[in-house]
Amino acid sequence: MTVVSTASGLLAMLQESHPTLKLHALKNLNVLVDNFWPEISTNISAIESLYEDDTFYERQLAALVASKVFYYLGELNDSLTYALGAGPLFDVSEDTEYVQTLVTKCVDEYILLSVKAAESNESEKTALDPRLVAIVERMLDKCMQDGKFQQAVGVALECRRLDKLEESIIRSENASAMLSYCLRLSQTFVSRREFRHEVLRLLVKSYQGLQQPDYLSICQCLMFLDEPADVAAILDKLLKGDKSEALLAYQIAFDLFENEYQKFLLNVRDLLPESTSASSSAPLSVTNGGLIQGTRGNGISAMTDGGPTAMDSDLTEPLLGSYAAEESADVSAPPVEERTSYTERLTKLKGILSGETPISLTLQFLYSHNRSDLLILKTIKQSVEMRNSVCHSATIYSNALMHAGTTVDTFLRENLDWLKRATNWAKFSATAGLGVIHRGHHQQGRSLMAPYLPQNGGTGGGSPYSEGGALYALGLIHANHGEGIKQFLLESLRNTSNEVIQHGACLGLGLAALGTADEEIYEDVKNVLYTDSAVAGEAAGIAMGLLMVGTASEKATEMLAYAHDTQHEKIIRGLALGIALVVYGREEEADTLIEQMTRDQDPILRYGGMYALAMAYRGTANNSAIRRLLHFAVSDVSDDVRRTAVLALGFVLCSEPEQTPRIVSLLSESYNAHVRYGAAMAVGISCAGSGSSEAISLLEPLTSDAVDFVRQGALIAMAMVLLQTTEAREPRVATFRRQLEKIINDKHEETMSKMGAILAQGILDAGGRNVAIMLQSRTGHDRVTAVVGMAVFSQFWYWYPLIYFISLSFAPTAFIGLNEELRMPKFNFVSETKPSLFGYPPSVAPPAATSAVKLPTAVLSTSNRAKVRGAKREAEAKASKATGHEAGAGSSSSKAEGLVDGDKDSTHAAKDENAMDVDGGTQKKAVVVEPSSEVLSNPARVVPAQEKFIKFREDSRYAPLKLKRAPSGFVMLRDLTPSEPVELVSTDTPLSAGGAGTAHANTNATAIAVEDNEPPPPEPFEYVP
Amino acid sequence: MTVVPPIMGLDVEMSSLDSAPPSLLSQLRGVISSIEKGVASKEMRLMARANRQMLAVRRQLKPSTVNAFLKNTLPAGSDALARLLPFLAAVEKSEKDMDVDTPPATGQSPVSQKQSVLPEVEVFCYLLVTIFLIDQKQLEVAKACSSAAVKRLQQLNRRTLDVLAARVYYYYSYSYELTDSLADIRGILLALHQTATLRHDELGQETLLNLLLRNYLHYNLYDHAEKLRSKTQRSESHSNQQLCRYLYYLGKIRTIQLEYTDAKECLLQAARKAPASARGFRIQCTKWAVIVRLLLGEIPERTTFMQPGMRKALRPYFELTNAVRIGDLELFRSVADKHSSVFTSDKSHNLIVRLRHNVIRTGLRNISIAYSRISLADVATKLHLDSPTPVEDAESIVTKAIRDGGIDASVDHAKGWMQSKETGDIYSTQEPQHAFHSRIAFCLNTHNEAVKALRFPPDAHKKELESAEKRRERQQQEQELAKHIAEEDDDDF
Repeated sequence: MTVVSTASGLLAMLQESHPTLKLHALKNLNVLVDNFWPEISTNISAIESLYEDDTFYERQLAALVASKVFYYLGELNDSLTYALGAGPLFDVSEDTEYVQTLVTKCVDEYILLSVKAAESNESEKTALDPRLVAIVERMLDKCMQDGKFQQAVGVALECRRLDKLEESIIRSENASAMLSYCLRLSQTFVSRREFRHEVLRLLVKSYQGLQQPDYLSICQCLMFLDEPADVAAILDKLLKGDKSEALLAYQIAFDLFENEYQKFLLNVRDLLPESTSASSSAPLSVTNGGLIQGTRGNGISAMTDGGPTAMDSDLTEPLLGSYAAEESADVSAPPVEERTSYTERLTKLKGILSGETPISLTLQFLYSHNRSDLLILKTIKQSVEMRNSVCHSATIYSNALMHAGTTVDTFLRENLDWLKRATNWAKFSATAGLGVIHRGHHQQGRSLMAPYLPQNGGTGGGSPYSEGGALYALGLIHANHGEGIKQFLLESLRNTSNEVIQHGACLGLGLAALGTADEEIYEDVKNVLYTDSAVAGEAAGIAMGLLMVGTASEKATEMLAYAHDTQHEKIIRGLALGIALVVYGREEEADTLIEQMTRDQDPILRYGGMYALAMAYRGTANNSAIRRLLHFAVSDVSDDVRRTAVLALGFVLCSEPEQTPRIVSLLSESYNAHVRYGAAMAVGISCAGSGSSEAISLLEPLTSDAVDFVRQGALIAMAMVLLQTTEAREPRVATFRRQLEKIINDKHEETMSKMGAILAQGILDAGGRNVAIMLQSRTGHDRVTAVVGMAVFSQFWYWYPLIYFISLSFAPTAFIGLNEELRMPKFNFVSETKPSLFGYPPSVAPPAATSAVKLPTAVLSTSNRAKVRGAKREAEAKASKATGHEAGAGSSSSKAEGLVDGDKDSTHAAKDENAMDVDGGTQKKAVVVEPSSEVLSNPARVVPAQEKFIKFREDSRYAPLKLKRAPSGFVMLRDLTPSEPVELVSTDTPLSAGGAGTAHANTNATAIAVEDNEPPPPEPFEYVP
Repeated sequence: MTVVPPIMGLDVEMSSLDSAPPSLLSQLRGVISSIEKGVASKEMRLMARANRQMLAVRRQLKPSTVNAFLKNTLPAGSDALARLLPFLAAVEKSEKDMDVDTPPATGQSPVSQKQSVLPEVEVFCYLLVTIFLIDQKQLEVAKACSSAAVKRLQQLNRRTLDVLAARVYYYYSYSYELTDSLADIRGILLALHQTATLRHDELGQETLLNLLLRNYLHYNLYDHAEKLRSKTQRSESHSNQQLCRYLYYLGKIRTIQLEYTDAKECLLQAARKAPASARGFRIQCTKWAVIVRLLLGEIPERTTFMQPGMRKALRPYFELTNAVRIGDLELFRSVADKHSSVFTSDKSHNLIVRLRHNVIRTGLRNISIAYSRISLADVATKLHLDSPTPVEDAESIVTKAIRDGGIDASVDHAKGWMQSKETGDIYSTQEPQHAFHSRIAFCLNTHNEAVKALRFPPDAHKKELESAEKRRERQQQEQELAKHIAEEDDDDF
């Protein structure tokens, strides 16, 4: 082709009257448009009119040329319109920038339109351009043809095309992987609740359509959808299956339990058949479930109808895979035995669902693995001024948090005189602290607290503060699992007119009946509210919220109305938080209420509105919620509202902790101290336990802020971030610990920041160093109790006793392997990292015996020395731990020593040797070589970050039921050699209040030998004079 | 147009080099490391710095050095190395003929062990070789090399490449311009420009637009250039150099389109913004600016032509200005004839032709100032109108000038004379205020831009956080002060 220097000739040709000439011009222009578009663009109107000319038979070519010109001009919208007009001439598969850009634009446009269509009313729906739809569908098909199913799923989700979503899942080779990918997307990415539910329903359907239905995921989805009947049906079906199906049922139950959705769990339990009439009641439950499923009529009910025996053979085979041969013996077991075993299984399952089994197992774990360091508390106690009541009670709070759930109350017992200084509300919280320590101790809880509880008749003579505290403590013990206790609490509430006791009882009831929406309790609490007493009313407001968590019921408007009526700030605040809790997790549904609250004249209600935003959009990272919060954070006139708005960001972003530091970084440099405080707490809440270095870098300057309460917040937040982070992973942990010590010992430090430091110590070593703050469960679902606990905890700004609510967000970082009897068998596995990377922090070196009590500064100096000798001490600790384990093994399993044990023993021996070596060679430090892996035995502490290093041995007797599942929490184990006798971990359950003192034995590894012949601990005590 | 705007900022860098020349290879390695750092931190400034560092060593490059550097940087056996070495071989051959005592490749030994290399580094190697080839006057080879570089760039899509890519595009176009084959690459440049627009590569967009404008103007395609310019979306400028060039081209286009006021603004701004070292570019700008001002009827100050280093180049324009100033048509004609070769090469000849009208008008203005009343026949002789009907011509010229507002006078057609009106006092009008305003606005704008261009080191403010002790001290002082004030207040009563 000769070099053309201008297109003006061709453009002139367009003005000709003869269509052939025009066509010729167009054809040439189509070729030349890449080089001469600036010229052609001046005559674009001529081309456009050609396209609109009905008589012109090559209109589509004109459209194509026009589209290209507009594309070059950057007018993508016009370009797209003409490209659609070009019809088949616009070739989607062409590999040019023009086509690619337009197809992208096309998909974007389609997503925009379809989302708009989905969100607007049915009537306003405008028909989508079919050509647009065709292009998008062509693209989706192309994606699927090329095997890019993840992209197809993503686009389909964005366009809200469930049919395409289903198609891409079905057509992909690895459907189960696609499903789990889709499940993850639907939780993280789909921001509208209703649509998410639709997707989940589709997922459930597809999961069931699989060759090997993934019941774990199905039940997760069903839980999000709140369909207890279906879950019950599945569980029931699994229970009737063989052993491994029963294991699966248990595993599902444990996973459901971890999400802490009390109401749902109870519903599932109630929908399961009664244990006594096992098989006969099965159909009953089916019809029960069928009622709810009704219209949809999906696969579950049909499957259950098949009856137990028919299913066994069908379903076990795919489920079991390679192990089918071994298990076949069980399938043919006689029916009578099956029925009894079914009854047993049902009882066990119900035990799990009601929380009994997991909670007692957790309690056992926390008790036996307790590694809290009493010396730290001792140091705090000594350095805190006696007269300063704030620091005094902060120490008590700190103790409670450190021992949360461990049942170890040694510190309190040893310091009864010191404890007596707590008066009035301090006494209230001191008593309530026992509840935190004994959290989950369901059987003994009531008898433990008995000395403090209000006696029948109301005039027991005890102080109302300790009585109220005890009721609150009972609530904490039974938090989220309060079936057994709520009647007692309710009666206590009715029997009193003392506002302090009412306060305690309300909080207790709220905790125990969390999220049950129990009408009776609600009415009683409401009566307390209407007495219009500030102290009791505040607690009543919170309790109402706790009761109604996530129901979004009409009660919220009722509460709002009363908040407008009352004069008491405290009550308004309690109600504001309560309303926020009611809309928990409702996302867009809550928007009207949120709008109403955030526009209120009363700053306290606006402040409640911030919490409502936080709760409704918890862990969704919803953009509009973030935008609104940021807006309030910088524009509201009230400091409280601004602080809360920033803090609420932490809740909204708790599913994406890596985002938070970036988003609040500017706010953390605000001139407004309240905003800085909020920023610190937001980072603390969302990055809790992550040890993220950005979070630490953001908090570090705030811990030495000019304003005392900012320091307080930053210290607490830092402790939350660094929870369970070791020095080996983040060297700043050591600096932070030293900083805390310095602040606590510093006489000139302001009380506020001192209190923050003391609390931070408590949080840093929380739960005997075996718990982490987890606002989300392992499956990515938010843990209701934890989020609620954290939200109420953040109220401690106004009311210190609420500090205890943080214990609700503690989750044990444990690996607890269970066999089908729901007992812990002896079992080892490997953590393939250096032990120090995830180990316990070294305990503070006890000061020299003579100067033990003399000076608090003694600890400071030794801690320096301790750091130098860090390696040695760790080795020592390990050695003693190892010997301890071996001793335990020797006593309990003297008669049965299988192959597995031999193996285990040898590793122990090796470890011992290693340890001895280290002991011998402490002089030359360089020789100490840390082993690159560590053998852990069931149950073991497994920190979340450690999970990816956990490996199960090939030759081990037990193997986890689901290999893909993260190795933490409750894991059902499959016994590969069921014929051999089972060896169980010896259980050292914290039996009663009296026995709690022995827990001391485990706290300090070096003290083991001495503690054995310790005199029995004192009887339950009462410090009330 | 033969005078090529030299690479701006080049001379500045040159001077810093003379003092202590470390080995070239190590300098080049420094460039590479700053590129790598820039990529890692996504910091465009570091990439730009790498560019400048490279220009610093440009003049000292020897084939052996480049060869050693390439072998050192690029992994052995990589595509890029295989493609680049033949380009160098051509130079080395010719080099050996004339320059025998080149040290036998000192840095040959360390062959790179790296398996892969950043695309940025690879592109940088292309760039280095291209520049080197252009410097060595191996234009055909340079053309091939730069084409290969552009081809490679089209495969990559990394924002960290933008700075380097812009340089590559520039030398690509430059090498084609030197071989006078600019028209060949117009299509490619257009495609690249579109790609850059789609990828929001603003620097690339800017550079490529300038290259395209230059390309069009090279062939006097002013209309095309204007159409392209007006149809592309322009964002705020990222590079001062590119902005200068853009303004220069825009000024030229505007001049041709008779929009002299705009053109003057553009050209003056371009001249003002250009760095002091870019002498050739500024001369070009000044030439055009002078013509535009003359066309506008203004007379540039004498200092314009007396700027150091420009006096000789501006000589023809100085004489031209003189002719216009005097309003002497005769002189004007002779100057235009005398320097016609210069004007043709500057592509300003057609503008000079337009100037004739201005000469007449200036002469007319002089006459109207000097005489309160003059006959049209005298006007014709004074203007040296050598037409057959000088009086009628003079009459039409005068009436046109009056209508255009060039002179403030009236014509008495019957009596055949021109009557000038009294000139009023300019200080009683808004004129001085407007002048001041525009100057003040200019100063404020410059100040604002300077402030915007300031960069603070990141997180510098965090170091100033006070320690606990200092805070305590300060609080104590504040408390004492408060107490003091309170006491004083008490004393008052």
